[in-house]
Amino acid sequence: MNLGVIRALVAKDFALFFRNRFYAYISAIGVVFYLIIYFVMPSSVDEELDIGLYAPVLPPAFELIQEEEGFNIVPFDSDEALKEAVTDGTYYAGITLPADIMEKFASGEKPLVTLYFSTNALDELKGAVETMVRELAYLQTGQTLAIDISSEVLGPDMLGEQIPIRDRMRILLVIMLVMFEMMGLASLISEEVEQGTIRALLITPMSARELFTAKLVMGASLAFIQGILFMAIVGGLNHQPLITIIALLLGSALFTGTGFLIASLARDMLSSMGWGITALLIYAIPSFGIMFPGIITDWAKAIPSYYLADAMHQASNFNAGWGDNWANILILLGFNIVIIWGGIMALRRRFQ
Amino acid sequence: MNIRRTSVLLGKEFIHGPKSFMFVWAIVAPIGFTLIATLAFGTLFSEKPKLGIYDEGDSQLVASIQELDSITTKVYDNTSELMQSATNGAVDIGIVLPDNFDDAVIQGEAVTIEGYVWGESLAKNRTIIPVTISNLVRELAGQEVPIEIESVTLGEEAGVPWNERLLPFLVLMGVFFSGLMLPSTSLIDEKQKKTLEALVITPASIGDIFISKAVLGIVLSTFLGIAILVLNNAFGANSLMLVMVLFFGAIMAVELGLIAGALIKDITTLFTVWKSGGIFLFAPVLIYMFPQIPEWIAKIFPTYYALQPVVELSLQGGGWSDISTNFFILVGIDIALIGVIMLVLSKSRQFRS
Repeated sequence: MNLGVIRALVAKDFALFFRNRFYAYISAIGVVFYLIIYFVMPSSVDEELDIGLYAPVLPPAFELIQEEEGFNIVPFDSDEALKEAVTDGTYYAGITLPADIMEKFASGEKPLVTLYFSTNALDELKGAVETMVRELAYLQTGQTLAIDISSEVLGPDMLGEQIPIRDRMRILLVIMLVMFEMMGLASLISEEVEQGTIRALLITPMSARELFTAKLVMGASLAFIQGILFMAIVGGLNHQPLITIIALLLGSALFTGTGFLIASLARDMLSSMGWGITALLIYAIPSFGIMFPGIITDWAKAIPSYYLADAMHQASNFNAGWGDNWANILILLGFNIVIIWGGIMALRRRFQ
Repeated sequence: MNIRRTSVLLGKEFIHGPKSFMFVWAIVAPIGFTLIATLAFGTLFSEKPKLGIYDEGDSQLVASIQELDSITTKVYDNTSELMQSATNGAVDIGIVLPDNFDDAVIQGEAVTIEGYVWGESLAKNRTIIPVTISNLVRELAGQEVPIEIESVTLGEEAGVPWNERLLPFLVLMGVFFSGLMLPSTSLIDEKQKKTLEALVITPASIGDIFISKAVLGIVLSTFLGIAILVLNNAFGANSLMLVMVLFFGAIMAVELGLIAGALIKDITTLFTVWKSGGIFLFAPVLIYMFPQIPEWIAKIFPTYYALQPVVELSLQGGGWSDISTNFFILVGIDIALIGVIMLVLSKSRQFRS
C-alpha cells in the first residue's frame, strides 16, 4: 500500500467535502449547535422536593418529615411569609399547620391543614405533598399499619449522585454528530461514482485497496475529530477516557462503513440523505434508551450502535472500566469488520 | 390557466410525488419530531414517579393506584418482568403484592411487600411511592383520615406546560416544512433534469405547472397541520375554523416554496437558504415558548398570522372574533405573495414559453 497515494486522496476528499456547502455548513455549525444544546440542559438533578412549612406547633410525627429523604423542608416564621414565597415561585409548595393542631387531634376533631401551591406546581407534586401530610396525620393519631415494604436496590445505587439529563443526552448528541458525517461521505462517494471519477482514479496506479483505505481514513477521521472535540468540551473524557476514545474511534469507522453501504445504493445527494437519515434513526435508537431509561428492551442489542452508546455511557457516566466494557468494545469491533467489509464489497460491485 | 391540463399535471404530481425522498421526508419529519417531542416532554421532564406492580392475587389496591394522577403505574405478569423493569429504569420501584393481600390488610395481619428499587431512582420518588402505597392501604383497611386538607393555588399566571409551548413550533414545522419544501424541491429537481423546459414547450403553461405543484403542497401541508394537532389532542373545538386557517397557512407556505423553487438553482442552495431563512419563518414560535417576549415582535413575521389563529382556536379556546383580524391579514399576505410569484415568473427568462 502506498501511503503517499492515500495521503493525496484523503487531502482531495477533504477539499471536495468542504466544497459541498450543505455538508461543510452542517459540519461547521454542528459542533457548536450540539454544544449549545448540551449547555442549556440542566446540569444537576433535583432529587428533593423543596417545601415551605409554617407550623406554630409542630406535632412529633410531623418532625419526621424533616428527616425524610427526598423532602427538603424549610421552616417559615409566618403564614404570610410562606404565602409570599409560594406566590413568587421560590417554593412550589407550602404547608401551614393550624396553631390548635394538637388540641384538635387530642379531642378527636379533624384539624384543617392548608397547602399552598404555586401556579407552576405539577399535579404530581400536589399529590405527593397531600399524601405525605395525610400519612403524617395517620402516624400522629397512632393509626398503625401492619405492612412492611422491603426494598432491594437493583443496579448501582446512584442516590445523591444522579446523572444529569445533559450527561445522558451527550451520548445521543455525540452519536448524531458523528453519524452526520456518514451522510456527507455517502453523498461524496455516490457523486464520484455517478460522475465516473472513481473509475478514472482506478485507471491510475492506485489500487482499490488504497482507494477504500483513503475513504475510510477520511470518513472516520472527520467524524472522530468532531466527536472527540465535543466529548472533551462537555466533560465526556473525564472518566475512563481511553475507553471512550476507542469506542468513538470504532464508532466512527462503523459509520464510515455504513456510509459505504449507503453510497452503493444512493444516486445523488437527496437519496444519500434519504438512506442516511434512515440509518441515522436506527443507529440513534440505543442512545434514546439511555436518555429515556426503560423505553427500549433487549432487541436494541441487535443494533451495532448499542455497543458504542453503552460503552460511552458506562465509561463516562458510571466510570466503568475495561472489566465492564471489554464485551462492548469487542462486539463493536466485530460489527465494524462486517459492516466495513460489506460496504466495500457493495461499493465495488457498483463501480466495477 | 387550463383546468384539464392542470388536472393532468396534478395527477402526475400525486402519482410520482410520493416516490421522492422529499415527499416521504416532508411527512415523516414533522410527525417524527412531534412524537419525539411528546416523548421528551412527556418522559424526560416528567417528575411523576413510576411504580410497577405484580399482583399475585387480585388486590383492589392495583385499581386504586392506577386511578392516581400523581403516579404512573404499570402492571406486570410476573416477578422477573417487574425486576427487569426496575433494573432498566422503566419503573422507579416495583412491588410484588402477595396473594390474599387485601384480606390480610383488612384483618390487620402483618404483610410484607417485596420492593425493587431502580438504582438511579430519585430520592423523592423513593419516598413518594411508599407513602402513597401506605395511604391507599390505610384506605383499604378502613382507617379514617384524621385531617382535613385545603389546597390553595397562589399566583396570577397559570404555568404553561412545555408540550403546549412547543405545539406552535410543531404545527408550523408540519405546515411549512412540507408546504415549502415540496414545491421548491420539485421545481428545482425539474429544472436540474431539464424536464421543466420540456413541459414549457408543450401546451401546458408555466402557470398550470405551478398550480399543480401548489395544490399537492397545500393538500399535504394542511393534512400535516391537522395530523399534528390531532396527535397533540388539540383538534377538538372549532375544527372547521382550524382547517380553514391551516389551509390558508398552507397556501402561504406553498407560495414561499414556489418563489424559492423559481429563484434557486440547486438543492444544496435551497437547504442553505432553508437553514438560514428558517429563523425568519419560525421566529413567532419563540413568543409561545417564552411568554416573556413581547408579542409585538412576533407580529413583524408573516407566519405569526397563520400561527396565532391556530393557537387561539386549539389551545386558548378562542373563537372567530379572536382570530378574524389576523386571519384577514393572513389572506392578504397570501394574495400579496401571488403577486410576488407572478413578478418572479415574468422576470425570469427560464419560465417564458
